[in-house]
Amino acid sequence: MRGAEYRSGTRGLHRVGPVGNLLLLVGCLTVGLAPTGLLLKAAVLGVVLSLGAASDASPRRFLGSLRFVVVFASILFIAQALSIREGEVLLRIGLPITAAGLRAGAAMALRFLVIITSSFLFVTVTDPDRLAHVLLRTGIPYRYGYVLILALRFVPFFRAELRTVREAQRIRGIRTSVKRLAGLRRAVRYTFVPVLVAGLMRVDSIAMSMKGRAFGLHPHRTSPARAVWTTEDRLAVVGSVILVAISVLAWRFAWL
Amino acid sequence: MSSNDRSEVRIEGLLVRFPDRERPAVCEVSERIEPGEVVAIAGPSGCGKTTLCRTIAGFIPSLLHADVTGDVTVGGASVLSSDPAHLAVRVGLVQQDPDAQVCTLGVRQEVAFGPENLALPIDEVNRRVDEALRVVGIEALADRQTTTLSGGEKQRLAIASILAMEPDILLLDEPTANLDPEGAKTIFETLGRLRGEDRSLVVVEHRLAPLLPLAPRLWVMDGGRVVIRRPTRRHEDLVELGLRSGWRRLSPRPAATGEARRTLREVSFRYGDVEVLRGLDFDAVSGEIVGIIGPNGGGKTTLLRLLSGLETPHEGEASSTEDLRVAMVFQHPHQQIFERTVKRELEIDGPLEEDARRALLEEARLEGYDDVPPLSLSLGEQRRLTVTTALRTQPDLLLLDEPFIGQDRHNVAWMIGRIVEARNRGAAIVLVSHDVPLLSALCDRMHYLGDRVLEGTPEDLFGQLREIGRDAFTPEYWGDAAEGAQGGR
Repeated sequence: MRGAEYRSGTRGLHRVGPVGNLLLLVGCLTVGLAPTGLLLKAAVLGVVLSLGAASDASPRRFLGSLRFVVVFASILFIAQALSIREGEVLLRIGLPITAAGLRAGAAMALRFLVIITSSFLFVTVTDPDRLAHVLLRTGIPYRYGYVLILALRFVPFFRAELRTVREAQRIRGIRTSVKRLAGLRRAVRYTFVPVLVAGLMRVDSIAMSMKGRAFGLHPHRTSPARAVWTTEDRLAVVGSVILVAISVLAWRFAWL
Repeated sequence: MSSNDRSEVRIEGLLVRFPDRERPAVCEVSERIEPGEVVAIAGPSGCGKTTLCRTIAGFIPSLLHADVTGDVTVGGASVLSSDPAHLAVRVGLVQQDPDAQVCTLGVRQEVAFGPENLALPIDEVNRRVDEALRVVGIEALADRQTTTLSGGEKQRLAIASILAMEPDILLLDEPTANLDPEGAKTIFETLGRLRGEDRSLVVVEHRLAPLLPLAPRLWVMDGGRVVIRRPTRRHEDLVELGLRSGWRRLSPRPAATGEARRTLREVSFRYGDVEVLRGLDFDAVSGEIVGIIGPNGGGKTTLLRLLSGLETPHEGEASSTEDLRVAMVFQHPHQQIFERTVKRELEIDGPLEEDARRALLEEARLEGYDDVPPLSLSLGEQRRLTVTTALRTQPDLLLLDEPFIGQDRHNVAWMIGRIVEARNRGAAIVLVSHDVPLLSALCDRMHYLGDRVLEGTPEDLFGQLREIGRDAFTPEYWGDAAEGAQGGR
């Protein structure tokens, strides 16, 4: 997904610490995964999109980054709506469109949208360095905590490498059709081998850079001063608790 | 142990051989680096400069596997059996590519990364971070994200992050290779400030003139050996050794009367909200070599992408002659190498007679590599391969993005010969490079893309650049930089 990386800022959820954002994500994922009704999922999706737009320096960019997610959710909706043929038929376009099919399609698409958009929002507003430091305080060995930071650093790198390799193929007139097995093999070799080599070269450099600065020398490393617990963090915790509670109640009593 | 003893480096009979390589990368090197000394290492690509630095820093053989004989000691202790993490407080290595050594996302976090690994008290970590940022002159960037920095800023960040470890020996492997002339100038000025305090500096650099104010001891390497070692203070020393950066004009400059192969008119281009080119007019004319210079982020590579057709202008018009054959050499060669052997790579664009293939490889100093996987070649060799494959198609428009990085004078001369051949055949050539002296010798016309757009013959353009105070973009700075770089103590 384009732009799935941390974007520094001072607005909206940027004012919430990593723990608060993580708890909000847990709340949203609970709503997304719990067998709740459409209304609750749609409402939470609306809140997530509003928070994203309010937190990003460019609301248009934030919403634009989700274009492909919306396209994929639409495909899920259509596929599900067409695959369920039981129940009241509302419309026929070659295949019967049923009320049950539309409900199931909407439920699947909304579930997908809530999970993906809230995860995307979490990634764009949460500084991975600060998140890693929080994780380290929970007792996770710091070697593993830094895996998260490095993984996030490699996402834009691989995306850029892949784009450049494809451009190099275009310039040399190389077409990599994947319609036949031979074409697929050629596409894999011509595309992924250069990207993989670039990744391995980068891994060597990063390993030297980390070892060259005493990474792993001591069992513990200095931890930056603890962040102050702010009003925004408290609000995030309350929001998360409310989301989880509503999900449980909506599931238990078939609300919303 | 005194600080003097701690920072003495002794290299005795060092030989480093990488697996699957017949020839050792470093061969029988026995040298000594005195505390507080500045050593400049020069030599052709692949001569062992980087390998020597990585060995001194303890990365070979512990992280990068190789057979090593002889010994390297720092302060009397052998580095060959040491964990690089243990050595980090004694020896710091700044690598060539600043992008490839940033581990965190924030400037301050990046500089703090090393001291935090040393488990120092938080106040000491903060003191070291502030001091390192001050020394390299990027205090104002402390709260920025590393991804938003320019190449020069990232390289200074890389130096700061090593300085924060307070090493006795600082190794810098071509720290200006990827930087624009202004960025490179700031690095040389930073080196001037770093000299002294018993800290030894070892700088691998092919642009030696700006290092002269530091009065370095020069090691010239060739074939893995140190073949020349001598103090170097004057420009004349470099001339005597054949190491000056200047190039003589290699061919007469014909009047540009060719056809415009590709034309841009009033072209603007943006990445997101950032406009990199605005209202640009450009003609790539047959039989002409055009050089593009300017700061990192000034739009040089974007111009090549617009000329190649990889990008479409957001405003303005781009047009070209019919059936235009375009070839482009990218900055990073591995991105445009696809086949499993050099032979197959050369034949992507059609089969070659064996004699013709041999001749091409021999000219590019790649003889005997027919069946070698191209991605196992050195970066310099890979770049020569990509230039060879690009020229094989006899393009009408040849676009080259920093083709000279990592090439020694011999290989640069080969590339210049091929570029001039292509021009004489009628190709339009557009060349992006930070090597200003070389462009001034090679190009018929030049453009400067930065906070403003300037163009003209090399002489005209350099006159304009001098007028607006962009001295680092003129060949004089790199050929006779005694007044340009700030000296050490």
